[in-house]
Amino acid sequence: MSDTNKINTEEELDQAVQTSEDTAPAAAAAAPVKAEKNHKLSYEKRKGLYGYGFIALWILGTAYFFVAPLIESLIYSFNQTSVQPGGMEMKYIGFKNYVNAFRKDQDYSLALVDMLKNTALRTPLIIIFSIFIALVLNQKFHGRTFARAVFFLPVIIATGPVMDIINGNMSTGGYAGGSEQFSSMFEADLVDQLLNFLGIYNISDRLSEIINSLTTDIFNLVWNSGIQILLILSALQGISPSSKEAAQMEGATAWEFFWKITLPTISPMILASVVYTVVDSFVDPGNKVMTIVLNKSTNWEHGYSAAMAWAYFLIIGVCLAIIVAILNKVVYYEVE
Amino acid sequence: MATKKEEKQFEKERKAAIKAREKRMKELGIENFLTPEQIKYNKRKKAIGTVWPVFRAIILFGLCFIILYPLIFMLSTAFRPNEQMNDPSIVWIPKSFTMSNINDVMGVMKYKNVPLGENTLLNTIKMNLVASILQVLTCSITGYGFARFKFKGKNLLFAIVILMIIVPPQITTIPLYMQFHYFKPKFLGQLLTMDFKGTGSLINSGWTMYLPALFANGLRAGLFIFIFRQFFRGLPKELEDAAYLDGCSPLYTYVKIMVPNARQSFLTVFLFSIVWYWNDYYVSSSFFTNNNTIALMLKNLNTNLTQQLFDGQTVSVRQIIVWLEAGCLLSITPILIMYVFLQRYFIEGIEKSGLAN
Repeated sequence: MSDTNKINTEEELDQAVQTSEDTAPAAAAAAPVKAEKNHKLSYEKRKGLYGYGFIALWILGTAYFFVAPLIESLIYSFNQTSVQPGGMEMKYIGFKNYVNAFRKDQDYSLALVDMLKNTALRTPLIIIFSIFIALVLNQKFHGRTFARAVFFLPVIIATGPVMDIINGNMSTGGYAGGSEQFSSMFEADLVDQLLNFLGIYNISDRLSEIINSLTTDIFNLVWNSGIQILLILSALQGISPSSKEAAQMEGATAWEFFWKITLPTISPMILASVVYTVVDSFVDPGNKVMTIVLNKSTNWEHGYSAAMAWAYFLIIGVCLAIIVAILNKVVYYEVE
Repeated sequence: MATKKEEKQFEKERKAAIKAREKRMKELGIENFLTPEQIKYNKRKKAIGTVWPVFRAIILFGLCFIILYPLIFMLSTAFRPNEQMNDPSIVWIPKSFTMSNINDVMGVMKYKNVPLGENTLLNTIKMNLVASILQVLTCSITGYGFARFKFKGKNLLFAIVILMIIVPPQITTIPLYMQFHYFKPKFLGQLLTMDFKGTGSLINSGWTMYLPALFANGLRAGLFIFIFRQFFRGLPKELEDAAYLDGCSPLYTYVKIMVPNARQSFLTVFLFSIVWYWNDYYVSSSFFTNNNTIALMLKNLNTNLTQQLFDGQTVSVRQIIVWLEAGCLLSITPILIMYVFLQRYFIEGIEKSGLAN
């Protein structure tokens, strides 16, 4: 359907061009080729100008609301700042803020390492989980719409302060919130008992610790993978049913189909989900590094806080670059 | 084209035919028709086909329960008299229901008993709608500019869009605060805040939200520009070429041809924008000291409760849950209702809006 339409419109276009050429006066046809070229150039130039016009609003806004503050905060980070009526007073101290952040502030580097470790552990989990759920939600069954709605629900709620209350870390009193209560339903011994039941004894404490942290973390896992599920689901729907039929004809099992067809097809989206997950966990105002940075800035140590934030941001950038560089080698891009 | 009912009928007939054929094959001896590998393959497929749906149902039920758990907990506690929180015999369903928690929290969060201008709910909805509409309009225009025009420095500028996605807002907040507080030129600040004798500081006025949104720099604007760019790139070029041949200007083409085609992704971005503005408390807490948004109210609910409701007395941490959860319920109900009705657009919108490419 769409193909024939396309051809039709293209033919019409050609005809339109031809007729316009035909009706053009003979003088124009005899005109030097150079003039025609000039005309075309000016058209392209004009289009380029229109392009600037379309993004002009954004350029203005970005210069004022994004680039200027970004540079400003970079300047803060090299200064000792104090807030005075009428503006910020600054004294240049070079890299001292950065040195202090890593040398003197013990919390900062600890939180940083902790953060990186956490992200490295959780990202693969979230991605594998999202792929699995997206595969399941892509199948046909009763109540699929409901299931999809539920799995996407965290995106609506999880970004706000509601999540803090649910997690129970809002009051300093530390009562059991929903998530903690939920975790306690899978109390530590359950895993050990299950392993014992399966006849596995005396496995290392380290392993059972990891398994434990997984089961108690399942709440956060599920609550943090809404967008990723959606992204992968959208990629899954790009796989044509005919390729599945062909694979079945050849006698491929679902397992083989997944590794040979599904995974390569959705790999660009997996990369996007990985980047999203990493950025999301780094930017989350609830994480420890962010808390330290924000505390410093509420204590009016803006220069120091800016230095911490910039160091943090550079580390994020390097991590992301490494991840993307590695994954890009594996990702399969369909050449059109 | 067959209707849905007819399609279902066809499917039924097809399955019946397959079954009949299999039965016939079995009667005649299946080995005559299929190789041993094929028989094995079919058997395995059948076994998986029966076990998997059960397995899937269990997994989905469990995970849905995990996701819905906080909501169920919220419903269970928000209407529970606070004394019953300490009753060990109550897990989910309280012995009696009360609206007093909701009423208390409505008072503390300024949902009622305040002049209309200070009402938290109305205030939040107003700021949300204005900022989101502005944001959708400007981001779509920018996205279109990036998708369809060639100009110098385009790649560099688009790199800035990506940077906008990655840079945490915390880095730019303090300089932005200074910019808003000492807004230049001064008369413009005075004009915007309608306070001609004031300092022209925009802090505490809605303009700290509207201005960035107006210039395509609102909350997560980078992501929205990216989505729009991907979407417009996916639309066929012939659409515009036809309009250009007819002598339309690019802006006219955009308004008349591209916008109607992009309705779905407009709606999706609009919904996401509303959700993120609704939930945002970081940016609003930086620029507002006394403005009422729901997210801010909820963030400070614990303190406000102690000050206004309990008169500084400490209430046991278990009992305070009922008020906190009632506050949560109050704050997410509007957005939840929206989600229930427009859920289709959230999910299908992203699928179709070209993020898949």
